[in-house]
Amino acid sequence: MQIIYTDVLVIGGGLAGQRAAIGAKRRGHDVIVLSLVPAKRSHSAAAQGGMQASLGNCFGASGDNEDIHFADTVRGSDWGADQEVVRMFTHTAPKAIRELAAWGVPWNRVARGDREITVDGKKHIISEPDAAHGLITSRNFGGTQKWRACYVSDGTGHAMLYTMSNQAIAANIPVHERMEALALIHSDGRCHGAIVRNLATGELLAYVARATCMATGGFGRIYRVSTNAIINEGMGAAIALETGVATLGNMEAIQFHPTGIFPAGILVTEGCRGDGGLLLDGRQHRFMPDYEPEKKELASRDVVSRRMEEHIAAGHGAHSRFGEHLWLDIRLLGADHINNKLREVKEICQYFLGIDPVSELIPVRPAQHYSMGGVRTDHRGESPQLRGLFAAGEAACWDMHGFNRLGGNSVAETVVAGMIVGDAMADFCDSQAGKLILSTALVDEFGQKQQRLLAGIANGNGSESAFELTRLMQETMTANVGIFRHRDRLEQAVSTLQELQQRARNIGLRSAAPGANPELVTAYRLQRMLKLAQCVAYGALQRTESRGAHYRADFPRRDDLNWMRRTLATWPDDEAGLPTLDYEALDIMRMELPPGWRGYGARDYIEHPQTSARQQQIDGILGDIPDADRHARQQALMPFRHLLPEHLRNNNERQGEEP
Amino acid sequence: MTSHPNRGPARADVLQSLTGLLLVLFIWGHMFFESSILLGKEAMHWVSKMFEGEHLFGKPYPLLVSVVAAVIFVLIAVHAILALRKFPGSYRQYQQFNAHMGALRHADTTLWYVQVITGFAMFFLASAHLFVVFLQPDNIGPYASSDRIWSGNFWIIYAPLLVSVHLHAGVGAYRLAMKWLPIPAASSRQVRRKLKLVMWGIVVFFLCLGSASLATYMVIGRDHAPYAGERYVPGKSQAPTGEH
Amino acid sequence: MNRIPLRPAARTLQIQVLRHNPHDPASEPHLQTFEVEEADTMTLFIALSEIRERQDPSLQFDFVCRAGICGSCGIIINGRPGLACRTLTKDLPDRITLAPLPAFELIGDLSVNTGKWMRGMSERLETWVHSRNLENLDIDTVEQAMEPELAEQLYELERCIECGCCVAACGTAQMRQDFVGAVGLNQITRFQLDPRDERTDAEFYELVGDESGVFGCMTLLGCEDMCPKELPLATQIAFLRRRMVCSG
Ligand SMILES: Cc1cc2nc3c(=O)[nH]c(=O)nc-3n(C[C@H](O)[C@H](O)[C@H](O)COP(=O)(O)OP(=O)(O)OC[C@H]3O[C@@H](n4cnc5c(N)ncnc54)[C@H](O)[C@@H]3O)c2cc1C
Ligand code: HEM
Repeated sequence: MQIIYTDVLVIGGGLAGQRAAIGAKRRGHDVIVLSLVPAKRSHSAAAQGGMQASLGNCFGASGDNEDIHFADTVRGSDWGADQEVVRMFTHTAPKAIRELAAWGVPWNRVARGDREITVDGKKHIISEPDAAHGLITSRNFGGTQKWRACYVSDGTGHAMLYTMSNQAIAANIPVHERMEALALIHSDGRCHGAIVRNLATGELLAYVARATCMATGGFGRIYRVSTNAIINEGMGAAIALETGVATLGNMEAIQFHPTGIFPAGILVTEGCRGDGGLLLDGRQHRFMPDYEPEKKELASRDVVSRRMEEHIAAGHGAHSRFGEHLWLDIRLLGADHINNKLREVKEICQYFLGIDPVSELIPVRPAQHYSMGGVRTDHRGESPQLRGLFAAGEAACWDMHGFNRLGGNSVAETVVAGMIVGDAMADFCDSQAGKLILSTALVDEFGQKQQRLLAGIANGNGSESAFELTRLMQETMTANVGIFRHRDRLEQAVSTLQELQQRARNIGLRSAAPGANPELVTAYRLQRMLKLAQCVAYGALQRTESRGAHYRADFPRRDDLNWMRRTLATWPDDEAGLPTLDYEALDIMRMELPPGWRGYGARDYIEHPQTSARQQQIDGILGDIPDADRHARQQALMPFRHLLPEHLRNNNERQGEEP
Repeated sequence: MTSHPNRGPARADVLQSLTGLLLVLFIWGHMFFESSILLGKEAMHWVSKMFEGEHLFGKPYPLLVSVVAAVIFVLIAVHAILALRKFPGSYRQYQQFNAHMGALRHADTTLWYVQVITGFAMFFLASAHLFVVFLQPDNIGPYASSDRIWSGNFWIIYAPLLVSVHLHAGVGAYRLAMKWLPIPAASSRQVRRKLKLVMWGIVVFFLCLGSASLATYMVIGRDHAPYAGERYVPGKSQAPTGEH
Repeated sequence: MNRIPLRPAARTLQIQVLRHNPHDPASEPHLQTFEVEEADTMTLFIALSEIRERQDPSLQFDFVCRAGICGSCGIIINGRPGLACRTLTKDLPDRITLAPLPAFELIGDLSVNTGKWMRGMSERLETWVHSRNLENLDIDTVEQAMEPELAEQLYELERCIECGCCVAACGTAQMRQDFVGAVGLNQITRFQLDPRDERTDAEFYELVGDESGVFGCMTLLGCEDMCPKELPLATQIAFLRRRMVCSG
């Protein structure tokens, strides 16, 4: 087996992976990026709507800053997030966007003077100030107090990923495409790289590295209906789980996006609603204000998706031969706006629905969209259990999203986490702990194990079809571990998944084609996906409360008293049918923003006694420094800057804000 | 920058287009002069004498015609040599292009191939024509030309040359426009559709004009066959005008 | 009134795939025909997945986003390049012939290595913003202003998804392996337009001022006609040609 040595191995060529790679490379380390597909085809390219960063340039963003972004994100997370990490994130996001601007992303810009906008179904004229002309503009997104999603038409992720990839090419970072990490090489709580399969030739290789970064994106494809790319099968999270050492955090926290087109599940961006689009029911009645009088269509995604399903369940859906759905109406935005700012949406409607959204309604229904959970890391992005293993982006549970991610916060996270983790990996490589010490025997051992596994599947002669089992898993997840969860359904899902796991040991391949062999790929991925699915289902079953996107019909209230805790899943025994769950407490006494009502959704939750204690403490601290500026007040409550790499600690300058 | 960029490719491209453009303009002009026969022998005679400079100098200088023929020949030679670079370089390349064109069923790709074929044909046909004009510059006129076409069997060259040159020139002119003109992106598709229409209009127009002229020369040549070699003298009523 | 449209009986599609597995010494390129029952809103993505799941699990093809965004699934559909994921079978005849994009290295069946080609193109044309500024970037202060229209124009050119359809549709690229294609030329115009890129026209000339660059283009316009993103490729190449002739 060929062994390739490098300082830093980044598994994943999306925004997070490439930004981390650039960071480590700049610090003088050799970096190799692995990707299932050419880097520019990673699913980051599909992000349409925008990237959150509190630049505060345009009309609806004026007065925005890190503090408001922080509060929005924590509320969005339903207090499930790590608040220090949220601070690190909101502080670095403006820097990330400015860096990308200099690197070439053509962010849409503020144009001085009057323009027409659509709010709440009505047209308004607003005026942009001269001073902001040419600065980066932003649009409204759900769950935010300000217009904060910076965008490039509706190809934001595409533009970002192309710029990022081009910078990685400029930095001479090799991307080994069509390579799939199958297992992490590790011993004694230290990760040494990965065993990798070449997807074009079928050959196995070993990549040995001092630091390994998991940036493999989400795992939406454990669901039948998902907005995710079909390569989003969570193999990164799965192989971390298979170490039996590293933990996955909050796997039950799965986001459903309100506007997947029906029935294909392809996403149309939240920007549609942010820009003024409305949701209509079967009778073309605008129903969201009935449920959410404050934020209406622009409540956070978990809330809107739930309301939509609720409304359909109450018999108000529109009917089609594929089933029931609702309508998204962007006709009121006008042809000009749609043709310029929502071009990809228009194309998607044209090609996949055969309709023109300028004059027709778009059929939509919530679809699986994002995985808040992933490889649990500390604030530097390193796994607390497996040294040398880092994670960034959607694959990680760095934990700035808690139980619900805000639109636009994800691509922002990928870049910010990439910046931080790139540095952390470089620090690690520079340190004593980062020395490479392992025997080739260990590498061989891990390689042979994978070889045996693959041969076992290929020669298994079983009777089960990998494709069929995959479909059953996806259907189980969509039916039973969806937006509305309930003990009975979850128990059923857990047992079905266990049964599928058994059956998956008895797969027979029909094809023995040398080279890529897509059937073999489906088979070995299935076994890992089943484990992830089980972490989601079992975690959801155990969490007897409703928080963010995790909604238990049988426990409809958020329960801070018992569940201010992050779920941690490990899978120490390969033969076991269930993950081992553990819980990590979130310390209210250290929170800058103690739990409360989110400003939308249910008002009713079970309070933790520490909440009021912490609130009193906060009032006291702030009362002592009445004249301090906002930075100092923040610092007094929950210092975070020391957690950032030094070059990211400075204040962010804003147009129109006193320094 | 220290290294000097190689300007060759830029110059070659411009030169190819420029020679092409001049040839197109020439051939279109040429068609009007040539078709003067449709207005009668007198008119055509007048035009041919004009090219010999008679109206200017009072006396014909056939050498002038030779010079024009030589210039055109040089233009064609330069143009052809430059264009030759674009020809499929090997049989394999030729096959690849052919297969590609067959599968793609794409008009502009096929039209390029038409240019290659017609260009290749003109290599021989146009050369033959120019050679004759160059060597016998005084031998152009209502009867001289008609006799050459009919009795000298030159129609066998002129008919395919006519088709080749107009397809080639029309398509070439369209390609020149697409290659160089600043057409705004927003209207590019409409403008192109219009250009294409104009192109076909011009091609058809010149093919009709050219065919009519050629037919006229052939009729005159056939009628004049018994007297082949006799020159046209303006004003003088001549025997075989077809009213036997 | 009930408005259920009358539908013709479902078709049985004959999908012919040009198959070859270069990793199998016994494999010869050949056409294989699969029969698929057409379903409502069926795309080639759905049809091919169904073939792989139910008929021949060894069939190779590439899909990633399945939404026409990532550019993975360019293939030749009845002779012409296009994105398979967003091609509806209802727009195609009963017999459909699928082949891999030519001009790229074949991985197997319909899967080709566009990634390697595009990376090579990017390295050769240096498709990134060149600026001395990037060494010590100040990311704490307010960003450089840019005219809003310019930003939109840049995005217009940046919508390219590197799917390779323009290369497959280009007669020049069929004959010249080293031709950078409309994808490369368009990207040069994108960086040429970008004020953040400090490269001069003379420097761009070094990159595309030859027969493998803009002067190799024969204006066959297959690229413009077959670009799934409808980029204004003819306009951009003409612009670049004028610019390169005038530079230096
Ligand atoms: C349709 C859609 C629209 C979205 N819109 C927005 C938006 O507007 N704003 C926003 O903030 N967020 C949005 N998101 C979310 C956001 O795009 C993603 O969360 C984010 O881009 C993930 O980036 P990443 O770098 O973590 O992973 P990805 O971009 O998914 O990259 C994962 C990489 O890992 C590689 N990989 C995976 N497994 C392996 C393996 N085993 N071995 C080797 N390589 C592997 C893949 O090849 C790929 O290169 C959207 C998501 C979707 C699905
Ligand atoms: C022996 C003669 C000729 C040969 C071999 C020839 C060949 C060609 C070829 C192969 C092309 C395509 C080149 C390319 O795609 O870049 C071409 C283009 C062209 N030809 Fe000719 N040609 C000949 C004569 C003529 C004549 C007589 C005319 C004018 C009437 C003409 C006008 C043009 C024009 C305008 C173009 C387009 C120029 C361009 O693309 O830059 N050619 N020729």
